[in-house]
Amino acid sequence: MAFIVAVVLFVGVVGVLDARLVGWPRPGSRKEVEP
Amino acid sequence: MIAGHFGLAAVVKSRERSVPLWALMLATAFLDVVFVPLYLAGIERIIPVPGTHGGYGDGVIHADYTHSLVGAVALAAAFGLVAAIPWGRRAGAVLGAVVFSHWLLDLVVHRMDLAILPGGAGGLPRLGFGLWEIPVAAAAVELALVAAGAYLYWRSALRTTQEPGRTAGSGRAHVVAACLLLAGVVTLALDVTS
Repeated sequence: MAFIVAVVLFVGVVGVLDARLVGWPRPGSRKEVEP
Repeated sequence: MIAGHFGLAAVVKSRERSVPLWALMLATAFLDVVFVPLYLAGIERIIPVPGTHGGYGDGVIHADYTHSLVGAVALAAAFGLVAAIPWGRRAGAVLGAVVFSHWLLDLVVHRMDLAILPGGAGGLPRLGFGLWEIPVAAAAVELALVAAGAYLYWRSALRTTQEPGRTAGSGRAHVVAACLLLAGVVTLALDVTS
């Protein structure tokens, strides 16, 4: 039960929010690694 | 351990900014994702420690394929290879390593139930340092991983939103980091009260 909730929260909610809101560099871009 | 794995994935995100967070989260849970259908099919099992009801840390886990050392390496390699197709070799290597990190963290908490070869072949010794025998300590480690992941993620996301030319406001970094921390606390609470 806890595992299913966790996957939904972390992959489906936090992961999607992160992708839509923060604006990270794309893979292969020059700024991809934290200085 | 559930929440701690996701905390570690958030730590990795803070260092590997271009790897999608959702993919890191999926990678860190991948061994358990594959475990679920095998568990439902009766191929892998969780047996309560005698004298317990099988709650947090009170299970002997016979996940002899997904959580064997060789099985974990194979699943990590497969995940990394697939991820490398759209995102490149570096992202694939990072995601494969995150998949395998699951086994390393499990090694710390599991009782001596982790097989080396798939199916427990060869009768080799089973591995596990057994931190689950001290549930408070195991939960503290998980909480520390979640807190560290949320903090490092927040710091990195904040920096990203403040870079020149970025349109995303810093408030967005606060929101996602807060959701990450909340998800970790909720998951840990559900796990320890199971």
